[in-house]
Amino acid sequence: MSVRRLRLAAVSFLNARPITYGIERGLVGRDRFELSFDLPSRCAAAVAAGQADLALMPIASYAAAAELRIVPGIAIASRGKVRTVMLMGQVPWQEMDTILLDEASRSSQLLVQLLGRERGLAPRYEAAPHDRIPDLVGGRRGGLVIGDLCFSASGRFPHVYDLGAEWTERVGLPFVYAAWIGRPDALSPADVALLQESLSLGLTHRQDIARAWAEQSGEEAGLAEHCLTQNIHYGFGAGELCGAASFVDRAHSAGLLPCKPPLLFYPGEGRPRRPGRVENRSTDSLLSDAAASARLSFEEGVRLYESASLHDLGLAADARRRSLHPHGVVTYIIDRNVNYTNACTTACQFCNFYRPPGDDRVYTLTRDELARKLQETVDLGGIQILLQGGINPDLGLAYYEDLFRWMKASFPLAIHGLSPEEIRYLAERENLAIPVVLERLIAAGLDSVPGGAAEILDDEIRRRISPHKCSVATWLEVMRQAHLLGLRSTATMVFGLGEEPRHVLGHLDKLRALQDETAGFTAFICWSFQAEGTKLPLRGDTSATRYLQTLALSRLYLDNFPNVQVSWVTMGPAIGQVGLRFGGNDFGSAMIEENVVAQAGAVFKLSAADIEGYVRAAGFMPRRRNMRYEWL
Amino acid sequence: MSFSELARKVREGAPLSLADGLALFEHPSLVEVGALANQVRERLHGDRTYWNRNLHINPTNVCVAACKLCAFSRRAADADGAFVLGLDEAVGKLRARLAAGERVTEVHIVGGLHDGLPFDYFTGLLAGLKAVAPNVSLKAFSAVEIFFFHRLYGMSVEEVLRRLRAAGLDALPGGGAEIFSPRVRKLICPNKCGADEWLEVHRTAHRLGMKSNCTMLFGTVETAEERVEHLLRLRELQAETGGFLAFIPLPFHPENNALGNRPAPTAAESLRMCAVARLMLSNVPHVKAYWVSLGLDTAQTALWFGADDFDGTVSEEKIYHQAGAHSPQALAPAEIERLVRAAGRVPVERDTLYGLPSPATAAAREEAL
Repeated sequence: MSVRRLRLAAVSFLNARPITYGIERGLVGRDRFELSFDLPSRCAAAVAAGQADLALMPIASYAAAAELRIVPGIAIASRGKVRTVMLMGQVPWQEMDTILLDEASRSSQLLVQLLGRERGLAPRYEAAPHDRIPDLVGGRRGGLVIGDLCFSASGRFPHVYDLGAEWTERVGLPFVYAAWIGRPDALSPADVALLQESLSLGLTHRQDIARAWAEQSGEEAGLAEHCLTQNIHYGFGAGELCGAASFVDRAHSAGLLPCKPPLLFYPGEGRPRRPGRVENRSTDSLLSDAAASARLSFEEGVRLYESASLHDLGLAADARRRSLHPHGVVTYIIDRNVNYTNACTTACQFCNFYRPPGDDRVYTLTRDELARKLQETVDLGGIQILLQGGINPDLGLAYYEDLFRWMKASFPLAIHGLSPEEIRYLAERENLAIPVVLERLIAAGLDSVPGGAAEILDDEIRRRISPHKCSVATWLEVMRQAHLLGLRSTATMVFGLGEEPRHVLGHLDKLRALQDETAGFTAFICWSFQAEGTKLPLRGDTSATRYLQTLALSRLYLDNFPNVQVSWVTMGPAIGQVGLRFGGNDFGSAMIEENVVAQAGAVFKLSAADIEGYVRAAGFMPRRRNMRYEWL
Repeated sequence: MSFSELARKVREGAPLSLADGLALFEHPSLVEVGALANQVRERLHGDRTYWNRNLHINPTNVCVAACKLCAFSRRAADADGAFVLGLDEAVGKLRARLAAGERVTEVHIVGGLHDGLPFDYFTGLLAGLKAVAPNVSLKAFSAVEIFFFHRLYGMSVEEVLRRLRAAGLDALPGGGAEIFSPRVRKLICPNKCGADEWLEVHRTAHRLGMKSNCTMLFGTVETAEERVEHLLRLRELQAETGGFLAFIPLPFHPENNALGNRPAPTAAESLRMCAVARLMLSNVPHVKAYWVSLGLDTAQTALWFGADDFDGTVSEEKIYHQAGAHSPQALAPAEIERLVRAAGRVPVERDTLYGLPSPATAAAREEAL
């Protein structure tokens, strides 16, 4: 690492102050960082010109430039109203013939154009100087107003649109306005940690920041504090990553961005684990803190799993779910699970789907069979194929590359495919590194990775139930590499396999740590082991209530996972529905088939209308989504 | 009234009002309502979850009532699929179970309203079963059937009950209550006896010293208010007689009936119904999660939403299965105990009156507690 100080370029708006707080005051990285302030668009230019190493810049600038990286965990984002990015006018949006764009902010410029286009509007857009816009708005000319100006200007116009709220109501995801962005080699993990520390100091001093700003600007401190605590979210986690990717994709499709590179992070050190103070905290206080998004330690998780009541866990998880998903929406996807082959060499004890190669019941689906299934999926409104199969020694990487290319050329379907075990096997079979396999699969059309083959992420348990399946480290490494290449994935857990609470919590802990690092998991799904026809006995302690407890605990422990699915396919629609009150916010998929679990005794089938009925009867609004959890 | 005031009323054991009942149905958090019902359940029964070894016999499916909600009945004795069990055949079901070495402590008998059978058929059935197994409790004939016998055979309700008791009747099941609201009865079961008659049959049975159960069929066309009013009428009679042992919420099952393609109540609704019943019926000792109608998973969950009874081994249930229930038709005792334990509760075998079925199980019960 060089000893030269890193040059940071930041915006001076109120909403960026918590991010720079620790650095500005010399509390963090005093000898490491050199901070200067500028307008957002010029911050991006400074990095491009090599005048700054890192800048607080819009995601749009990230997407427009070559090869950049994002600092994980830090963003200026909103999950609804943002208060500082607004379209204002004397007439309603649809009657504006011209909209003035703030030269200072590229993301906001694109956002207003994108939202306008998605509303079917095509006004003229004209650039204007940042602080003159409120004065230039009038008649049918609207204006995009950003930053602190919004506070004074919003009262002057009858028609004011908060673009954060407009985005989230349309897409169902957070919007990211800016993040620390720079060239890939500019930062070390230690630098990332310092930047995160600066923000966490800022977050605890939001009141002071608001007061200082009010004195300087003559505006109301309460207003500023509300903005900093209620409107802006400062974390750049998995939900923000999905929101930012959704924005880049949409802007690219609308012709507003020249390319859509994957959003990649600098490697970080992960959030530090809070030491367990087990003895001196009551279950009630643990639960109420966790409901308010405080991080649980491993020991605290074990204790809650062992001793908190079903209702208390459920109520805390429900409160946490509500704060993450305040719109009362439960999402689901229409996709199809295609198990392309049942030949498998892993011979897991808990599986009744696989047949050993050479067995006369072995199959691999032909192109004709696949084509029929895929066409049916398209006809039924499906948007994705969940493609998983056995570890079939006859199928190499070329098979999947051909298959994906053919699927992508023939059907408008996303490929959510190949669990870490299948990817690991391909790497071994082809003698290639895991990232190389992933890159080739991505080039052929892979969109995201399902979280299967996780079972319980504990090597002791795995040796017992699935000795030939990948180790915990390998499973995590495949997911890490997939995330680093810009793929999103889910994570699963199967319980009731002879594990103890410490194994369940160990599993959740490993997922949470990786998520801290990559933010690549979109959702977590758990279910209890289905025994029929497998070599393992059904354990006495698997039950609907144990499932609900596990689901609720997972929602609380996985504080960095944006979504938790209920698993109606395995637990049944009745308990799936009840799970929506125990932390679940997603009903999974209106599945057309699911061979693996069906073979072991679960035979549920639900249509989209059935799912919507269950969701409504539980008191929620159903919305269709894609794999990134964008509302459709 | 706020939920916390309602919770205070529950803690103090004050009876809940119609408005309270409606508030429980409208409260946004299912789990909060469930947790409140669970307080009452645990105050009364701790972790104990009762079950019994029972056998269902449906003597006939011929029924003049022609209820729109029913998938079991046939209008005429010669209709396709109509049946009347011969006495030997009916008694044989019990004999077969006993011969297989199984214990049975209760026979549950309900059937259609058949206008072509003599009263002797029913007394003969009871006497025949008692002759095979004198210690088995006979919980037979819903209030609707008793009232039908009163009309058909020209005897007072009391006379019908006395004569059936003389033949071996021990208790009445709770069926046929459906929903007491005349508006709903007119739509779903216009030819069944009304609420007043149903309640009068149970009042009479209680006066004669017999215990009974009570039920509510929910999820057809009734309103929340009609549900709560139904529960309040049951609570009123219980205050008068103390004769009800258990309340059983019965979700409507939609297949093979004349009410059309109406969705069944979902688990979330069934659990809330169970919890509201536990809270409203403060004077009824037990609330039953009848696994046949709820399904095993929801029944297990219901043990945390107010229910303290899992019903029994059942074999072999017909009425719900004709209406599309996917639950098994019978459960082995060991399976019931496993399901209850897996749900985090302690299984306790009971007899019809919630007493101990035998000295051997009494010892086991002591141990379980």
